[in-house]
Amino acid sequence: MAQTALNPKSSSPGSDWKKWLGVTPFFLFAILFLVLPSLRLVMGSFTNDEGRFTFANVLQLFQQQSILDAYWLSIRISAATAIGGGIFGFLLAYSVTVGGLPKPLRSALITFSGVASNFAGVPLAFAFIATLGRTGFVTALIKNLFGVNLYTQTEFDLYSFWGLSLTYMYFQFPLMVLIMAPALDGLKREWREAAENLGASTAQYWFRVAFPVLLPSILGSMILLFGNAFGAYATAYALTGGRLGIITIQIGAQIRGDVLHNPGLGYAMAMGMVVIMAISLMGYSWLQKRSERWLR
Amino acid sequence: MTHLALKNVSKHFGDFTAVKDFNLDVRKGEFVSFLGPSGCGKTTTLRMIAGFEIPTEGVISIEGIDITNKAPSQRNVGMVFQSYALFPNMTVAQNIGFGLRIRKEKESDITDRVKEMLAIINLEKKADSYPYQLSGGQMQRVALARALAIRPEVLLLDEPLSALDAKIRVSLRAEIRSIQQKLGITAIYVTHDQEEALSLSDRIVVMNMGEMEQVGTPFEIYNFPTTVFSANFVGTLNNANGEVVDPANGTLTVDGVKFESATDLKSRKKGDKVKVAIRPERFSFASEIRKANVVDAKIENITFLGSVVRIQIKIGNTRFNMDTFNNPFLELPKIGSTEQVTCSKEAVLVLDE
Repeated sequence: MAQTALNPKSSSPGSDWKKWLGVTPFFLFAILFLVLPSLRLVMGSFTNDEGRFTFANVLQLFQQQSILDAYWLSIRISAATAIGGGIFGFLLAYSVTVGGLPKPLRSALITFSGVASNFAGVPLAFAFIATLGRTGFVTALIKNLFGVNLYTQTEFDLYSFWGLSLTYMYFQFPLMVLIMAPALDGLKREWREAAENLGASTAQYWFRVAFPVLLPSILGSMILLFGNAFGAYATAYALTGGRLGIITIQIGAQIRGDVLHNPGLGYAMAMGMVVIMAISLMGYSWLQKRSERWLR
Repeated sequence: MTHLALKNVSKHFGDFTAVKDFNLDVRKGEFVSFLGPSGCGKTTTLRMIAGFEIPTEGVISIEGIDITNKAPSQRNVGMVFQSYALFPNMTVAQNIGFGLRIRKEKESDITDRVKEMLAIINLEKKADSYPYQLSGGQMQRVALARALAIRPEVLLLDEPLSALDAKIRVSLRAEIRSIQQKLGITAIYVTHDQEEALSLSDRIVVMNMGEMEQVGTPFEIYNFPTTVFSANFVGTLNNANGEVVDPANGTLTVDGVKFESATDLKSRKKGDKVKVAIRPERFSFASEIRKANVVDAKIENITFLGSVVRIQIKIGNTRFNMDTFNNPFLELPKIGSTEQVTCSKEAVLVLDE
């Protein structure tokens, strides 16, 4: 009984509302820009042009080949950049954490990654066009130095699947570096020493201990990278101008309505994206919990 | 016969000397503790035996075979870490069997050995648990079993109990000692806890600033410290400045009060300044008749420490602590009174700086 009186602050009714004051802006923000738009999305998906309830929009997602192709293209680009950016980012993070590179390099890379992971949209597309476009700086440099025209003498095309993937990689691998560096820091020196002490080689330590411990983090991060690429719109639109029909561009076309105009279908397609993103995030969350349990 | 030998081993990190001229012969089955404060070089020495550090000078050998430059994986030395270092992605059984799998032993042999180890550490029911499902004490027992499973030549323990709470520490140290004796394995134990070292070891190496201060049995280290550091680090000690009066008879004075010491003072001259040390429990009230070291002491303070009562006394101008066992019928002197206290000649230690 005496213990309950020790913390009178927590039971003071007057202070209860103050505790919630700090989070009020967040809840307002979430309601205005997450909950209400999501509700609008769900409602719009089940509404026809005349404002009546319909399943037609959702059914079209599975019936129209162009929509299924758009989803598949987005999934392929997201998966390619998640795997590519994931591997590249992991190797970079490894180099500056346990790889033994000079510490200043780590600070420089982490700072760069913080900026680059948020560098997307029209500026990123323009940067790539200016360097690797048909008349880009690097394209011209290669032509002048080596006499090779990237666009006529090789398979390279910035405005293709792999060109867009390369552009996405610019913000994908830095995100991987930012997520993986702390995970790699979590590998205890004693694990390596214990493994060595028990007779393991460096390869055996990595194969049997370090990599399995890091695997949930690596997979979780790749899922996050997948979601990051899956939701991208401006970069792809600015770079390819709609040549590549990824799902976000298709949704834009349905809602903006220059040629196609079916907002209901657009909402349904967006809801499909939300479902895919939610599955990705659930996977990420599950894997993250697993790795936290191991790396704590 | 010497099982593990360190000969003139030194380790420098740039200009800093972590370990200086370390020499030690360890017999097979012996339990030796490296005892000292942080930064004294005890862990560095242990890591050199494990192979995680290479000595700058000197030779380390096991059974006469030089292992100084061998890789850790080639030494067949088991190590228990302070932070347990259990592999989090493996169950208890997989952790224990890890070293055997690396050695490509037969799966049936691995299963048998893991069962045997689980029985030794009394964790048979936890075989399929993961480290995060275990308590600190259980994790350290698994770490011990993992290190022992490979049948190492030498078992190294780097402050294995310091992350555990006091009660578990006491029970686990008894368990470690019992397992070590049962298996007859040579063990080197690093600790800064004197009680741990005294209770576990066959021999203790007291270390200070990279050097060996004293090597001896716990009894020798506690009762006959040879240096001021060794005496102060192990147990509680009264320190005083003395002056040699008669080297032949071992007589000296502290603040003009005469004491006799059993320490050989023949190498010293009359008038030499010396460090005198007397353990608090070696003082007693002079109810029994002694020929030497009966001195007047003023009672300044009395403190109850549970099983022990600590009495602060003043002899001449020097304050000493005197410990006596507590009992309900203990008659204590009054604070401010002057009593006669005594100690044996052997209790008066004359130490090197």
